[in-house]
Amino acid sequence: MSAGDLGAAALRAALFLSLWGTGAATYAAWRRDARALASARIAAGVGFGLVAVAAIAMMFALATHDFSILYVAENNARETPLFYSIIGLWAALEGSILLWTAILAGATAYVAFRGTAAIPRLATTALAVMFAMVTFFLLLVTTPAADPFARLAFPPDNGNGPNALLQNHPLMALHPPLLYLGYVLTSVPFAYAIASLILGEGGDRWLVATRRFALVSWALLGVGIVAGAWWSYAVLGWGGYWAWDPVENAAIMPWLTATAYLHSVMVEEKRSLLRTWNLALVIATFSLTILGTFLTRSGVVNSVHSFTQSAIGPLLLAYLVAILVLSVGLLLWRSSRLRDAGPIGAPLSREAIFLFQNVLFMAATLTVLLGTLYPLFAEAISGAQLSIGGPYFDRVEVPLALALLFLMGVGPQLPWHGASRATLERQFTAPIAASAIGAAAAILTGITGIAAVLAYALGAFVTATVVQEFARGVRARRALHGEAVAAAFTNLLRRSGRRYGGYVVHLGIVLVALAVATSQARTVDAEKTLAVGETLEVAGYALRLDAVRSVREPQRDSVVADLVVTGNGADELLRPALVQYPNTAQAVGSPGISAGLRDDLYTILAAFDQRSFAWATIHTRVIPGVSWLWLGGAVVGLGAIIAALPAPRRRAVRLSVAEAPAPAK
Amino acid sequence: MNGRVVIALALLALAAALVIAARPHEPTADERIDRITTELRCPVCQGLSVKDSMSDTARQMRDLVAERVREGRSDAEIQAEFRAAYGDWILLSPPVASWSGLVWLAPLAALAAGLLFAMGRLRRADAPAGAEPSAAQIAALRDRVAREEAAEG
Amino acid sequence: MLPRIVRAAVVVALLGVVLTLALAFRRDPHDIRTGTVGKPAPAFALERLDGSGKVSLADLGGKVVILNFFASWCLPCTQENPALVRVYERYRASDVVMLGVNYQESRDNGLAYVRRMGIGWTTVADADGRVALSYGVFGPPETFFIGRDGVIAGRHIGPIDEATLINGIEALRGTASK
Repeated sequence: MSAGDLGAAALRAALFLSLWGTGAATYAAWRRDARALASARIAAGVGFGLVAVAAIAMMFALATHDFSILYVAENNARETPLFYSIIGLWAALEGSILLWTAILAGATAYVAFRGTAAIPRLATTALAVMFAMVTFFLLLVTTPAADPFARLAFPPDNGNGPNALLQNHPLMALHPPLLYLGYVLTSVPFAYAIASLILGEGGDRWLVATRRFALVSWALLGVGIVAGAWWSYAVLGWGGYWAWDPVENAAIMPWLTATAYLHSVMVEEKRSLLRTWNLALVIATFSLTILGTFLTRSGVVNSVHSFTQSAIGPLLLAYLVAILVLSVGLLLWRSSRLRDAGPIGAPLSREAIFLFQNVLFMAATLTVLLGTLYPLFAEAISGAQLSIGGPYFDRVEVPLALALLFLMGVGPQLPWHGASRATLERQFTAPIAASAIGAAAAILTGITGIAAVLAYALGAFVTATVVQEFARGVRARRALHGEAVAAAFTNLLRRSGRRYGGYVVHLGIVLVALAVATSQARTVDAEKTLAVGETLEVAGYALRLDAVRSVREPQRDSVVADLVVTGNGADELLRPALVQYPNTAQAVGSPGISAGLRDDLYTILAAFDQRSFAWATIHTRVIPGVSWLWLGGAVVGLGAIIAALPAPRRRAVRLSVAEAPAPAK
Repeated sequence: MNGRVVIALALLALAAALVIAARPHEPTADERIDRITTELRCPVCQGLSVKDSMSDTARQMRDLVAERVREGRSDAEIQAEFRAAYGDWILLSPPVASWSGLVWLAPLAALAAGLLFAMGRLRRADAPAGAEPSAAQIAALRDRVAREEAAEG
Repeated sequence: MLPRIVRAAVVVALLGVVLTLALAFRRDPHDIRTGTVGKPAPAFALERLDGSGKVSLADLGGKVVILNFFASWCLPCTQENPALVRVYERYRASDVVMLGVNYQESRDNGLAYVRRMGIGWTTVADADGRVALSYGVFGPPETFFIGRDGVIAGRHIGPIDEATLINGIEALRGTASK
């Protein structure tokens, strides 16, 4: 049996099991039947195993260049290196859907085993919802819509190879899996929310049960987006990291609503408020992930990720409609049971700040949604073709982002229920002073533009509040437990991980904001056609063109420009290239990047002497601060890990019998 | 009062920094070219602006914009020239004075609606739970305490 | 209890989103239609590729003009070339003028391509791309149909086939100058 046969059979068996699981879990929840639940559990576990087998089979087929499988023939070639062959699993539509299905099956198995042990009826209902979703995706991969194991009657000698852009950089191994993990794991809180609505529970159990899942999926989505920005920067060769491309927008929308959700759940946990709103946020987040998949895969928008149109578009749209009808319908039906415990509170309280923050995030999300869909809408209605791109999004989103940055500093400093004047003065004197220093630092380093200077000021503001919080926490632990500073600091992170991990995340966001502000405000461009031996000078760097040469590899031909970089303490060799893959008409630009903490030197080979390699046109960008973007992403991930880790168990205290106090007379 | 002085000074410094940052000035030719090319869409790219794109077409468009700037044309005239050839599609953000200009209004409207809704949900600050009793109520309470003490004996 | 108006608003908004997405299937994201069609063809005066003088649009007034933008680095251009050659032969002796505009490459490369592909009609070089920009060219191959009155009657983006060419030409020849 070949890998293709094994994979196809595994998927069909998994489909059968997930259908069974849907029925079994529904019955188990309805009748509280333990045996049905047990069989649903087995279906979930075995089903996940089968889908995993299918995914591994595909990777094997790619690694062994099995061109009898259509997907392999289209996305792999004999010359493709092993690494890129294996990650070719997510190089195109069918494989991506298979990966999605595998992750979803894994999440279903998790809910089946861990979830139902904790809250039997709620989790079992959620399990039924999960099974229903897995069934849909398994239907996609076992039908011509997205069947990765479709066969070719006459296998070709050699395949097409992956898309040129997808085998240029090892980051391709990270970006799609991270993003998909983030996307798919939002289905668990969603399933629990739907289950809670179906069962008519008016409380918070669904929310508390999925808190960690929500945090983890949010973090993975965020890091996946940053990885995508890094890929855009390092691979696409246009010198930027975010272009408000429809597919980028599709990824950031659920992240925005998920961020709002992470915060407003704190209000619900603490004060039992915003119940309907939180359910709506979870539904919105999950729906946006499906919308995102639809926009990426259906071919209705022109984008970097554009694939040929396939039947999957209408199917995904139908799925999205079904989800919206079901979830919004349930929410509207049950809204009478979702009562809040009272009014929110004073305007200057933490819950009020969270409320404002939610409003801002929703405005940001709706703007991105409108900007992405409006061209489609306008064309459908009137046939007029128009574009909505960077300038629009930047103009609207930057003020919103700055306002959110401000709230990020204010919120954690305000107590629940409200703050007095004295509290305000005590909390904010140092941060406001810090913001002035931040603004001054911006001006001194040559930043111009109100938005960028504000970003620096607000970044300093938030940083000061975080430092304040850590200082207070350490002081408190030292007073209470007599710990040394380092131990107190560590214990803050371990025992109050949610809070202090959250602060670390905020610091990461500050880094990202500063990176964006600095790179947008102070990037310097220079372009020159250099003869071999000539030098281009920009921003204190000197780039000398040493050679233009041709490089032949099995899977591609490149023309490389050797640039020697000196100045500003740099001393290295950059190799921007133009890479020609067989089967593609246009050459792909591969930038030569010298990354540094202060700035990046970004070089592009724009043109070269085709006859005698005597000259090359080099375009250079000096981009300050862009490395802080990747650092910030890493800090956000670290903070999320700190927040998600469970606190260490308290050690049991043993009293020996002899020490027990004698009973009083 | 020290804290308030610090806050006031800091806010003043911040305002000054923002004024310096805004630096209203006559844009140079290069700045004008950058500004105009940021708003134009590269016809052969995936949504990139003419400023960001490395393609030959974008390069030629940049040259054309530079020439028109040198000739003294206004931003609107230069945009109009490209719009005549490529239609509104060539602009990366919809012109405000048109039906599509409504997309500029939408975020503002969403924000305003959301803020109004949020303000409505907040408890009014001037009606705190547990108000101070009035002077008459205090006097009445004192009377009652005195009477009860007298009754105790 | 959610107020009626909020429920209605939510439903309407979601309906709008879904409807937009459904309608979006009807369009081809690669089909860009805005531009200079229906307007007077922008004037130009370009050097011939072989260096033997200039050609201006004004010289061709009163004739039906097929303006074809091409380049040697453009793969679909080689695919459409046989169709162009056949149509050229068919209308050679008439008042239909075929003009090739070489785009974004050196004269030498353009000339080499012309000779290699057996292009017999007049070809000119648009060195700085200004003419292409004035016509709203997205990328080669692109063909413009200019009527006797000097108005752009139609435009075809991408490789063109014989039938489309002939249909366009006959339509333009059929309408006498107004």
